[in-house]
Amino acid sequence: MSLLTIENLRVSFPGEQGAIEVVKGISFELGRERLGIVGESGSGKSMTGRSILRLIEKPGKVTADRMEFDGLDLMTLSNKRMRALRGARMSMVMQDPKFSLNPVMRIGDQIAEVLSFHSTLNARERRKRVLESLEAVRITDPERVYKLYPHEVSGGMGQRIMIAMMVILEPDLMIADEPTSALDVSVQAQVLDIMDDLVTRTGMGLIIISHDLNMVARYCDRILVMFNGEIVESCQASELANARHPYTQGLLASMPTLDEHRDRLPVLDRTQLGGV
Amino acid sequence: MIDLKHLSIAYGETSVVKDVTLHVPEGGSFALVGESGSGKSTILKAIAGQITNWTGRIRLGEHDLQHGRDPALVRLCQMVFQDPFGSLHPRKTVDTILSEPLSIHGIRDQNQRVLETLDAVGLARKFRFRLPHQLSGGQRQRVAIARALMLDPPVMLLDEPTSALDVSVQAEVLNLLKTLREERGLTYFLVTHDLPVVSFLCDNLGILQQGQLIELATVDQLKQQQFNSEYGNELLSKSF
Repeated sequence: MSLLTIENLRVSFPGEQGAIEVVKGISFELGRERLGIVGESGSGKSMTGRSILRLIEKPGKVTADRMEFDGLDLMTLSNKRMRALRGARMSMVMQDPKFSLNPVMRIGDQIAEVLSFHSTLNARERRKRVLESLEAVRITDPERVYKLYPHEVSGGMGQRIMIAMMVILEPDLMIADEPTSALDVSVQAQVLDIMDDLVTRTGMGLIIISHDLNMVARYCDRILVMFNGEIVESCQASELANARHPYTQGLLASMPTLDEHRDRLPVLDRTQLGGV
Repeated sequence: MIDLKHLSIAYGETSVVKDVTLHVPEGGSFALVGESGSGKSTILKAIAGQITNWTGRIRLGEHDLQHGRDPALVRLCQMVFQDPFGSLHPRKTVDTILSEPLSIHGIRDQNQRVLETLDAVGLARKFRFRLPHQLSGGQRQRVAIARALMLDPPVMLLDEPTSALDVSVQAEVLNLLKTLREERGLTYFLVTHDLPVVSFLCDNLGILQQGQLIELATVDQLKQQQFNSEYGNELLSKSF
């Protein structure tokens, strides 16, 4: 049985001339696998991720024929039960650790907050679990990091801390929204390897939302390409090079390669694609 | 065109750039690559005159850089920044942004020059009186490039000019930079960690690690993935 089933998901926001639909009726299923959602800014990829966690606030409007997570109907679940689900069974890693961590709270206490909300562990057990989770994301001296504030750690370590916070309760589904775009290339690979390792070990489902086609192709099993609020291409990551939709082909062609001999890079013809 | 001799920069006790010597010929395109913290942006800032406590020699064309405010410098080199959302004044129109350097330097024909530069960077003239928030990321980066071109400098300093943009928009901006260089004979000094961009835009590159220039290589070496230094090859393996 699939972990997550989405049918005809639509997200809209009111605009000056009526509602503007940013996600236009997309459907997909997710098993215990790694799924990449790629697209440019404004393609609706982040809105898709957020609507799964029901994080879209008014005046945004989310509708779907079906949105089920492990047999639970996400559309009708009460806010209270939704809160119990978030963090414990599904969680989200945000883009930039600088803005997503609480700047006035020690890192260890921040991670422990998840436990005090979702579990009945006492303070000592909580501390032990936090240190374990820091170790799981390859932080070598968890005792020291526990006491630090977010501004005292580097971007890469900040992102690993976010991941530790998200996986401490071993959720079934993790959504990572641009998990590495705020990071330096040299640490990007490390952060992705850690996530990959956690996914294979605990068997959770992972959705990576990104604009980076190459990165997604390397770390995911399956890829959805979004354009203008719709899924235009769905394929196995290994098959990306054989993509059929002109938008995907255009994106792939517009990227420079290490061995670049083209004099000019091809540019997407948006009018032809019927987009914005 | 750009000549650095034994350039060293320290912030307090910490030495960030250590004895860097390199040369970029006129009309050349040079890239400095390295991880964050390697000092690549610091070197760029020193050439742009934003950092003044360097030691060694920085020479742009026939001009030796001074350790203070240097009005001659801005006519020689201009910079395009990484983030087009942060580098444009949010309450000034494109027209004001572009004509400001002209007013400061007492250059006439402002109207004509603004229009010419808008055409050169491929921005429709209707954008002239818009504010930055009314433009997309790619359009803003075009404005930033236009602003750098207003004083006709022979040298352009590019600090990760496309890393904040989507790939399809990145292609447009990279094409534009290549065209401008060919048309105007500009010299580029690019700082980036994106090796494919270097492969497309540059002739030579320097690899920087912890403030030290470990290797100077040609772009052909990059294309064949054959650097001489161990660290250079490590960077290659990390690049997607």
